Amino acid sequence: MECKMIKKILVGFCAGIISGLFTAGGGMIVVPALIHIFHLDDRKARATSIFTILPMVVTSGIFYYSNNYINWKLGITCAIGGIIGGYIGAKILKKISIKILKKTFTIFLIYVSIKMII
Amino acid sequence: MLKLLVGIIPGIISGTGMGGGTILILILSLFMGVDQHVAQATNLVFFVPTSITAIIVSIKEKLIDWNIGIYIAVSGIVGAIIGAKISVKMNVILLKKLFGIFLAFIAIYEIYSLVKEYRFNKKINNNIERKNNL
Repeated sequence: MECKMIKKILVGFCAGIISGLFTAGGGMIVVPALIHIFHLDDRKARATSIFTILPMVVTSGIFYYSNNYINWKLGITCAIGGIIGGYIGAKILKKISIKILKKTFTIFLIYVSIKMII
Repeated sequence: MLKLLVGIIPGIISGTGMGGGTILILILSLFMGVDQHVAQATNLVFFVPTSITAIIVSIKEKLIDWNIGIYIAVSGIVGAIIGAKISVKMNVILLKKLFGIFLAFIAIYEIYSLVKEYRFNKKINNNIERKNNL
């Protein structure tokens, strides 16, 4: 029981550090952890993950804001695009294979990670 | 208009749970020449409205595991304070490189899970075949 508690805190802490460092990617730690360590199903894992990431994002936001990194105009425009995209995504994701998307995403990631490291 | 389009792609990707935010940061920093810190901050603004909508839906559908979620959220806040404090003072070039390394890890994990899934499916297919042969 106590071990599970330590695991929860460790997962949160790691995801928090990644969230703070890069503002993205916290979910990529929390979702697999919820599935493999805590045995939640896919949908529950994603839903719980978003709930846990929001406070981390808001916390990081305070630091980015006080260092004047936030470009509101760019952020809000992208957010509006994001809402439209989310709506389109919800409609088309049922039709196209997530597997193909995942493979494309992985290839894209390999390419950009090399580009960013070099 | 282009910025609006920049938001649409990660919005679509978000639905697959593959990190729409990561894509947003990449598009902004690699292809639109936005500074890495500003790109990351933009993701923060991007994330809040979309995630609040998702959370409301999830609460209604009773998909959130509160017992696990609360602990991860609270310890996550502590982690985020440390991470953000380091990040905002970090040299842009170093931050970009670190982000690249993180992405490489995600890519490796994705490949690993794809291989695992492939093997799992193969095993099931073999079992079905065996049953059919019997």
